[in-house]
Amino acid sequence: MKIRTLLAAAALVAATTHFATAQERVSWWYEQATPDQQKLIQGNIVDPFDKSQSKYHLTVDYRGTELDKQLRVAMLSGSGPDVVYTAGPSYVAPMAQSGQLLPLDDFAAKYGWNDRVLPVLLDMGRYNNKLYALPKTYETLGLFYNKSLFDKHGWKVPTSLGELDTVADAMLKEGIVPFAAGNGDWRGANEWFVTLALNAVAGPENINKALRGEMPWTAEPFVKAINTLDQWWQKGYFGKNYFSLTSSEQTADMLAAGRAGMMPSGTWQFQNVSTYFGKSGAAPGFVGFPSASGDPIFPLGVGSTFSIAAKSKYPDGAAAVIDFVFSPAVYGSMNSAWQGEWNIPLKDLSKVKMADNVMPLFTQTMTTLAKAVNDGNYGYTTWTFLPPATDGYLINGIEEVWLKRTTTEDYLAKLDATFQKEKQAGKIPAVPAR
Amino acid sequence: MHRLYVLPTLLINIVIIAIPAMMTIVLAFFQWDGIGAPVFVGLDNFRDLWTDGVFWTALTNNVIWTVIFLTVPIAMGLLAATMMLVARRGSTFFQVVYFLPVIIATAITARVWQGMIYSPVTGVAGLLQRLGLEATNPLTETSTALYGIATVDLWHWWGFLCVIFFAALRQVPAEQIEAARVEGATFFQTIRYVLLPGIRPTITLMMIMTVIWSFLVFDFVYILTQGGPAYSSEVLSTFAYRSAFYDLAVGKAAAISVVISLFGLAATIFYIRVQAREFD
Repeated sequence: MKIRTLLAAAALVAATTHFATAQERVSWWYEQATPDQQKLIQGNIVDPFDKSQSKYHLTVDYRGTELDKQLRVAMLSGSGPDVVYTAGPSYVAPMAQSGQLLPLDDFAAKYGWNDRVLPVLLDMGRYNNKLYALPKTYETLGLFYNKSLFDKHGWKVPTSLGELDTVADAMLKEGIVPFAAGNGDWRGANEWFVTLALNAVAGPENINKALRGEMPWTAEPFVKAINTLDQWWQKGYFGKNYFSLTSSEQTADMLAAGRAGMMPSGTWQFQNVSTYFGKSGAAPGFVGFPSASGDPIFPLGVGSTFSIAAKSKYPDGAAAVIDFVFSPAVYGSMNSAWQGEWNIPLKDLSKVKMADNVMPLFTQTMTTLAKAVNDGNYGYTTWTFLPPATDGYLINGIEEVWLKRTTTEDYLAKLDATFQKEKQAGKIPAVPAR
Repeated sequence: MHRLYVLPTLLINIVIIAIPAMMTIVLAFFQWDGIGAPVFVGLDNFRDLWTDGVFWTALTNNVIWTVIFLTVPIAMGLLAATMMLVARRGSTFFQVVYFLPVIIATAITARVWQGMIYSPVTGVAGLLQRLGLEATNPLTETSTALYGIATVDLWHWWGFLCVIFFAALRQVPAEQIEAARVEGATFFQTIRYVLLPGIRPTITLMMIMTVIWSFLVFDFVYILTQGGPAYSSEVLSTFAYRSAFYDLAVGKAAAISVVISLFGLAATIFYIRVQAREFD
């Protein structure tokens, strides 16, 4: 009896193994994800994808915060994954330039990505008129505020830069920090504020010109933008603990507890806002950041992108995986559980079903953003549109301006010099026409 | 035949040290983003460093760091080790206490200081602020950031030196110490004329290693400030790391690494010469 059971088990194992090897194993290296987040990916993407067809088997390998470095080495040696997951469009250009990525135009035609994905975001994945990447998630920066605090003090939510100054000054008088902000854990947070100042003061049109090389970064609108940001800093809008606070959790807590009135941050903060406002019982609010032109600005950002390795053994399988991710079902399930990280740039969100516990403010914001991007009313985030060294200097150099170790003019001059050098080397990510 | 015994270690050294080191030196003369094909640019990377203010800030910070670590922990270690030698009672307990920070992973030590001591929200600094005292986080001021990091590393490091010095001091012949005492030497005279000369090779080695390690310092700086604010705590290794992995300027990072190696090389040559003199 025992022997028979063992034989049956062996036969079952052999059959399963045979089934597994018959499938083509498509690999995807993912970045840092907590065990809970890994379960979400498994339950909402990997398992449903494997069930949806029998030809491919998806394996997701979690590579942690060092994914970018590992990916670069692996791509150089031709041993990378099939689905190439980069940290953003600025990484796509050099990879495409060196022939490490497969053009996706045929897959785009086959799966109808040109009709389903927001065209602006599709354009950002092009290099030399060929499509090399699809943005996995897009995001924007805006102004979170503590609605309960605003109501209590009778403050008006700012719709212009003048009103922003007025309400921030009023907060300072009350001993409330105007901007909940910090970079203690992530120096890159500096660029959220530079991005907001550039878009709100200099405006997206001027940034577009600068990105195309038609205007230097030393031009007057940019000087004005950096001076405005510096004024906010010198007036104490960012509080005295900016360099100590963590960029996400402690700032969200500060806003929810009413120690700060506003929080200029990105849509990725919705998860923390939901948690901390849930604890404090206050009501949150979110508006587009006020601008000099009067209209709120939604700077467009792309967190990460999907491509297919040129040396992939299963490019068709990799394309099938990417196509599966770009579905209303994945958008709904992933965004409901993991807000801000899975804003897949679908053109039509009408078929998306979100969970009941998702903040209506989040759904409303993402719908507004999708419409603004579709209508061409968007700004530019520096981490998406600037090449790496320029972006690096933008982040670190602004602290020198704030702490009076350099002037706005010198800061912008060095920024421009770095940008022009990288532009000459062909490192500028694609800039869609406005 | 006996020379074959060195073959395994020699091979390992060639593969994981010599070849990458040679490649780093070669890359210092190229422009490379780590993705495409490297382009030969001659001495451009070194010229760029020469005119880059951040490079000079980083180099100065490394020099300041070296001076701090050549004096403070060595003095503390020597003093504590000598006192343990004189008052033997409880020396094992103190050795354990002093050595404890050394065995804690640097990342944990850094996070503990950042969150529990320096933080104005969750740390002692915040507690003092809430009590109405003026306590700022040293990591957030350009004038104190480097010293704030050095304090953490000192706490982590000096116990190691103390234990090493104590072990060396115990090798000093007891007759010499006894003779000094009989001759009426004071505590400081005993240290100056008997103990310090007795452990001079150990002190020299530790000082040379301190110079080399000071130019390699990375972990505490990267975790606590990432070189900021406004580059004020930047050191050569964090500058090289950012250049290679954030700015995608691998050639520039290699050039910075070559500069770091030059300091290490100078210290090594100095040590070998001192060693050779002692053998003579």
